[in-house]
Amino acid sequence: MGFGDYPAEYNPKIHGVYDPARYYGKPDTPFGQVKLGEIGSWFARRNKTPSAIAGAFSRAFWRWQHKYVQPKRSGIAPFFHVVFGSMAVFYMLNYGKIKHHRNYKYH
Amino acid sequence: MLSRATLLSGQSARALVAYSARTTGTSPANSQAAKSDDTATSLRPVRQEPGKVRMGFIPEEWFQFFYKKTGVTGPYTFAFTLSTYLISKEIYVMEHEYYSGLSLLIMWIVGVKKLGPKLAEALDKKVDEYESEWNESRVQEKQILNEQISDEQKAQWSMEGQTLLIDAKRENVALQLEANYRERLLSAYREVKKRLDYQVEKQNIERRIQQKNLVDWVVAKVRASITPDQEKQNINKCIADLAVLAQKA
Repeated sequence: MGFGDYPAEYNPKIHGVYDPARYYGKPDTPFGQVKLGEIGSWFARRNKTPSAIAGAFSRAFWRWQHKYVQPKRSGIAPFFHVVFGSMAVFYMLNYGKIKHHRNYKYH
Repeated sequence: MLSRATLLSGQSARALVAYSARTTGTSPANSQAAKSDDTATSLRPVRQEPGKVRMGFIPEEWFQFFYKKTGVTGPYTFAFTLSTYLISKEIYVMEHEYYSGLSLLIMWIVGVKKLGPKLAEALDKKVDEYESEWNESRVQEKQILNEQISDEQKAQWSMEGQTLLIDAKRENVALQLEANYRERLLSAYREVKKRLDYQVEKQNIERRIQQKNLVDWVVAKVRASITPDQEKQNINKCIADLAVLAQKA
């Protein structure tokens, strides 16, 4: 599977039009339904190659797009998602410098 | 005219209607095409409705995740306690950017509350306009097709009217034929009567002439048979008669 190819499991005759938000492989238990004791084995089953991780992020991005950005009458929510998300990211990036602005020595 | 009547009458008219209907019917080919990729089109992704959010941006699902375990106030309590923990331990540091962020947040909230509905209205209008623009050709096509269907039905209806008209015309022709027949009958009667009258007149004339000739012949013969003596006697007799008459007068 090179760059720009569809996932290997995707078959247009079975799946129809390609949906970038959909996982075409064999579905495992959803993460929300995994029991705490099974998390280790669940994580061991995951495909951890860079392309698979990038695909997971891509699917998440497209799920977000389909839900908040692409609808016909989407609101202001996606803009705020980007704003608050980037706030959090840059806060974490700059945390090393922000740390020095603490006002109290003892907590 | 009669040949046209036979062409358009009865079955042939119906066949014409059927033929005109068949030329516009293309449904078999289309339905065949639609059937072949039915499974693929049924899986075509549908455009979603926008996801529900609270406070403008927090997904509803996060609240639902808490709702089962903690009830309605759970997520707010969690957010409040977590933020107090982060702030009191100064994991979240309230430096100058925090206060500028607060003022920005207030400005955003006011802006969204004030301008949001108007902007949403304007954008929704644009969306509707854009969509109707794209749909316009399809709507028009549909309208044209509907008009064509109604025209076709009207044409069929008028075709049926044509058969009525043909019947009327046939009746008319029959009436004309009847009138013509009667006229001819009358003329034949007149001609025959004329000839018979002629014969009667001819016979009458012939008889009259014969009579006249006979009378003439008899008179001539009588004249010829009168001798001078007889004439003299006759005249004398006449004179005697006159004398008698004169005496009487």
